[in-house]
Amino acid sequence: MDPALQLIQEVEQTLVAKAKLLVFERNDFILQAGAVEHNFYWIESGAIRAFYLTELEEHTIRLGYKGSLITSLTSFLNGTPSEYYLQAIRKTHLRPIPKTTFQNFIQEKPVRLQQYNRLLETIVVQQLEREIDLLTYSPVERLQRVLTRSPHLFQEIPAKYIASYLRMSPETLSRIQKS
Amino acid sequence: MALEKLRMIKDLEEITKGLISRAEYFRSLTNEELNFREEAESWSILECLEHLNRYGEFYLVEIEKRMLYNTTDEGSDSFKPGWLGNYFVGLIKIKDGQVKKIKTLKDMNPLHSELNHTVIDKFIKQQKQMIRLLDRANNFDLTSIKTNISINKWIKIRLGDTFRFVIYHNQRHVMQADRVLAALEKRKGEVV
Repeated sequence: MDPALQLIQEVEQTLVAKAKLLVFERNDFILQAGAVEHNFYWIESGAIRAFYLTELEEHTIRLGYKGSLITSLTSFLNGTPSEYYLQAIRKTHLRPIPKTTFQNFIQEKPVRLQQYNRLLETIVVQQLEREIDLLTYSPVERLQRVLTRSPHLFQEIPAKYIASYLRMSPETLSRIQKS
Repeated sequence: MALEKLRMIKDLEEITKGLISRAEYFRSLTNEELNFREEAESWSILECLEHLNRYGEFYLVEIEKRMLYNTTDEGSDSFKPGWLGNYFVGLIKIKDGQVKKIKTLKDMNPLHSELNHTVIDKFIKQQKQMIRLLDRANNFDLTSIKTNISINKWIKIRLGDTFRFVIYHNQRHVMQADRVLAALEKRKGEVV
């Protein structure tokens, strides 16, 4: 098994099991831009989007659903005000893991540090994949790339947020899906 | 009558800075307060700002585009408003606290749309962008450069008039938001 996945599994069994439960209704904010994020979240049920707001529109940059981890990463790692908002797409149950709890957990055993290194590598690779997503000219290809990674995306996330994540209008996305 | 360009830009910049600080104050209000409306068909604070954001989406892009595609000109230090620009500004600018109501176009009317704090954040971002545009504006000929307007494809107005129109329009509706807030505070004071 991949060491990063092993770590996530162990986080789930130990930290998540002990974490408190937070409930968010549809459209509630877990984090607003400008605030500092001290947790990452295990999504027990529901769905979340991270978005960046410009003068003109909201850009969905990350999506998370049941069984995945989400946070505003730069803010979490650097302790700086978040540039992103985290918002519940529908009713969502979250288990917050505080940064300090996580750091202590990682430092407890050397093997965990190795697993954590692997996890960070995985995140870097995912970021580069995402960069290629955004540079891919064809909307059809952009959709195909994300469906290869996350085949169940459409079951979990409303199309308008997927369209924003793929940097296209909802109309374009719907046209591609039909063809 | 020609206006001194730099003076005009500074005045518009001051107004815009004032709008940002009002918006920052609105940000401290609760969702309930921000969504309060006096009557069924009147706007909440968030709806006032959302209305401005929708105009901003058009005009900020339009102004920046015109500045990109025109060369700078440091020679002119005056701005001469056009008759059409004066007409639009006269329509929306608030004089001596007197407000004449104007009907809003349907797609610019945010009444009863689902809104939250991000409306305020977006408004503040737009105003900061407006200040950046104003800072560059002195290097352009605000009289000869024309911009499109949002309501009609065939009409153009002078860039200087566009700045005046958009910023006085912003001021108009932030003042409206202030009146909503005053009404809300008055209602809170009432003993039920």
